[in-house]
Amino acid sequence: MAGAVGGLISLPAWANGWTTETVHSTHQILSRGQVNLLAEMVETIIPATDTPGAKALNVHQFIQKMVADCYAKPAQETFRTGLDSLDGLAQKAFSKPFAEGDVAQRTALLTQLGQSTEPAQKNFYSLVKGLTIRGYMSSEYVMTNLTHYQFIPGHYYGCVPVQAKAVTQPK
Amino acid sequence: MSYLNIDAQALNTYDAIVIGSGISGGWSAKELTGKGLRTLVLERGRDVRHVTDYPTTNTQPWEFEHRNQLRQEVRDANPIISKCYAFYEGTEQFFVKDAEHPYVQDKPFDWIRGYQVGGKSLMWARQTQRWSDFDFEGPARDGFAVDWPIRYADIAPWYSYVEKFAGITGNKDGIATLPDGEFLPPHEWNCVEKHFQSKIAARYKDRHVIMGRAAHLTQPKQVHYDQGRAQCQHRTICERGCPFGGYFSSNSTTIPWAAKTGKMTLRPNSVVHSIIYDEKKGKATGVRVIDTNTKKMTEYYARIIFLNAAALNSNLVLLNSTSNRFPNGLGNDSGVLGKYAAFHNYRAGISGEYDGDLDSTTDGRRPNSPYIPRFRNVLKQETGFLRGYAAGFSAGRSSNSDQSLVGADLKQSLLNPKLGGWHVGSHMMGETIPKESNYVALDKNLKDPYGIPQLKISIAYDDNDDKMVKDYQEQMTEMFTEAGFKNIRVRDDHRNPGLDIHEMGGVRMGKDPKTSMLNKWHQLHACKNVFVTDGASMTSTSTQNPSLTYMAFSARAVDYAVKEMKKGLL
Repeated sequence: MAGAVGGLISLPAWANGWTTETVHSTHQILSRGQVNLLAEMVETIIPATDTPGAKALNVHQFIQKMVADCYAKPAQETFRTGLDSLDGLAQKAFSKPFAEGDVAQRTALLTQLGQSTEPAQKNFYSLVKGLTIRGYMSSEYVMTNLTHYQFIPGHYYGCVPVQAKAVTQPK
Repeated sequence: MSYLNIDAQALNTYDAIVIGSGISGGWSAKELTGKGLRTLVLERGRDVRHVTDYPTTNTQPWEFEHRNQLRQEVRDANPIISKCYAFYEGTEQFFVKDAEHPYVQDKPFDWIRGYQVGGKSLMWARQTQRWSDFDFEGPARDGFAVDWPIRYADIAPWYSYVEKFAGITGNKDGIATLPDGEFLPPHEWNCVEKHFQSKIAARYKDRHVIMGRAAHLTQPKQVHYDQGRAQCQHRTICERGCPFGGYFSSNSTTIPWAAKTGKMTLRPNSVVHSIIYDEKKGKATGVRVIDTNTKKMTEYYARIIFLNAAALNSNLVLLNSTSNRFPNGLGNDSGVLGKYAAFHNYRAGISGEYDGDLDSTTDGRRPNSPYIPRFRNVLKQETGFLRGYAAGFSAGRSSNSDQSLVGADLKQSLLNPKLGGWHVGSHMMGETIPKESNYVALDKNLKDPYGIPQLKISIAYDDNDDKMVKDYQEQMTEMFTEAGFKNIRVRDDHRNPGLDIHEMGGVRMGKDPKTSMLNKWHQLHACKNVFVTDGASMTSTSTQNPSLTYMAFSARAVDYAVKEMKKGLL
């Protein structure tokens, strides 16, 4: 990166090498059990395939941090209450805690949650789903290896035939 | 004993003092030092050095703890600055927090500020259009404010001068209402923007859609390399500071250039309390400065003073500079100081969709977009409101995935998004009419943390602005319809004045000392060695993004000031 303007760029050391893991959350709003459950939930939403899933990319930690730091108290409450209700819903649906269901059972349960009209469930699910997608798509792994984000050198080509465009950069 | 004081005085004496280091102060500093004057540049905020003090400039998207979203506690503590589009996790360090410099909102006003070396030039939107005589002649023709004491011919060579140095991208469009400048190559259009341009050209003789003119180095020249700048890399995260110097800022360009002369003393953390007026000499002799770290007040002296504190703070400095001669603020014989403030009306916007050109798309990012110069009331008055509006315009395609899915199907859809249709959008930039009732003044009771009176801001929209919003919505709807755009939606966000970040006036220029503060050289009519060349000097606002005009004002006024000094007249 420094190549373009030679010696101009000098970065403070702390600006390099941040990862989700090394950034400390300001405060924990979930118990260990809730964190584990959230990890299973995000992994169900975006599972490991031939590439890592949301859990391996620490999306659950990202979500906890976002809700703790960027959301108001009522949303945090919706988040915790929603997580606490998940095992109950799983028991009703497939007679096991959520984490012990198989992929089909968990996927079916979350699909059903996504169609819920009950406000608390709806809000909880859309909060977690939205942040899961955001955390996953903006993770270093996905942006570097799958969507090929280019910081520099940038360009703008105005009229490109659709077929010729190989990669779509996420916004 | 007394010569000790004389020594101290000599130590604190310069040829010139510049108050502020933003877009106009940076230019004043560059020009004054370039002409050999020992210049003290006072900046109320901290120092921000090019590149090394841009902590997030090379931060990757995933490295932001909150992916650039503001923390709740930041939003709770800062309801005003949190409204600013450019204020996010990666730029928090460059904006003034609400509690930092309190002010009184006599009427709702979002005062967006950047207190640091470079001021708001670090985070500005970089659009740079010239004024024409259709703008300068506005007040005289339409009977508001006062006549500008200058015309396009006065400022045109200075536009060229600053454009060449700053680096402005644009296309020579040959439009009388928006004069061409010294342009670096323009940015590219996309297919739908071109389509809109041709449809508008076919339907309206007097409406033009052109590529935006902006302070980006699309193809640097030697002078830009000499500044240590390089080609813009289209990162489109300019407001975090650019390590390439791809866009113009005081930090990347004028301040380092001034420093290289060896003539500049830059003093950050220096709040100017007031300008010192010497009644015997009949001129200003210096400034009173409060050090923000020690809270100690020190006086600095110079033969000329350039006031570039940004529009409203330049008003504040003059209002607080009282003396027996000027009990109502320095140079304020007319009583107009603080009055006839104005801004740009950004309330309205429009969006739509387009189902043509689906075989083409865009690739990459563009730190600029097309622009529609003012077309209302240009040659003559033709609507039920005064003046008009310019507009931004852009088109782009989204990529869509099915987010209702769960599991491997969702992942597949997210990683293989389908190209969506074209979205088009525009926003207005309306001229507001300066009025005596839109003003700033010192609050009689409240003080800021340095003991300086707080600024009371009393600025609001009026009926003319409402009519203009409606007209913009109607005309743009017609234009969007003409271009075949669908699902057209107009909006009026009723934002507070100030959020446009184009506040102007209060220290207006004019021919008559009885009705204006500054003459055609930006000198206070009543105190000739004080020059105001920032937004405060604006007699009217027209519809251009104003920064380029402040750059030209500053360079022109310094040229005059130094000539006058050499003649012994200042």
